[in-house]
Amino acid sequence: MAKLYTGKDGRLLIDGTEQIKVASWSLSASLEVLESTTLGDDQRTYVPGVQEFNGSASLLYYNDGTGRNDAATALKKVLKIGAVAEADTVTLTLRLVEGSTNHDVELTAYITSVSFGASVGEITKAEISFQGTGALTTVTI
Amino acid sequence: MAFPTLQPTGRDFDPGTYPVKTFRAQSGAETRILYGNQRTGMTLGLSYDNILDTEADDFLAHFDEVQGTFQTFTVPSDVRSGWSGTDSAIDVPSPNAWRYESAPVITSVRPGVSSVKVKLVGVL
Repeated sequence: MAKLYTGKDGRLLIDGTEQIKVASWSLSASLEVLESTTLGDDQRTYVPGVQEFNGSASLLYYNDGTGRNDAATALKKVLKIGAVAEADTVTLTLRLVEGSTNHDVELTAYITSVSFGASVGEITKAEISFQGTGALTTVTI
Repeated sequence: MAFPTLQPTGRDFDPGTYPVKTFRAQSGAETRILYGNQRTGMTLGLSYDNILDTEADDFLAHFDEVQGTFQTFTVPSDVRSGWSGTDSAIDVPSPNAWRYESAPVITSVRPGVSSVKVKLVGVL
């Protein structure tokens, strides 16, 4: 059946836990290419270099009544007392749902920046940016 | 093994010069003495960007084979790729031959890929 995907189909999982009140996420992938054009060539040629993955997400700062606040958990990956350790990675799963089928991109990443604030008349959100480290672990889009 | 038969990604050539010594008198008169009839001292710089490591190590093998900067050798026509002038114009004129001016410099770019820079000098 034909299907257009919308934000309603989007999910974000951090370390396997589906985040509540996610407003948006985005992922960007890029490939560095290395020029291999030699003297005498008429067209430029390239060989693949290294890949890079990064993105961002926006979570509502929301307490579900049981003390769970996913936005706060994500914020505390960077807003912490003491240094960020090499082991402080998260497994991010960026998902589009189609019935019982999940279209996933999964990667290991560092949360590289977080921001949140409070404004009159607005819902407080936590904006996070992440930088992938290593290869993607799942791609089922 | 011979000098690697790869097409460079960059090349610079200095044609060298004739062995001339110039003397200038206090009056300003200049006297030049030509000590030889062969142009020499030409230099050839070659860049091989983003080549396979297995190709890059051919330069090290060749550098070993000619005992570094000691022995002379000829270079294949591949080093002149892209040059539409006379081949001999950017090669060593006989009886000159090339030798390494310094060891090849290998820069690792990513796993399996390196860039190599080679500097040759023409000597009699």
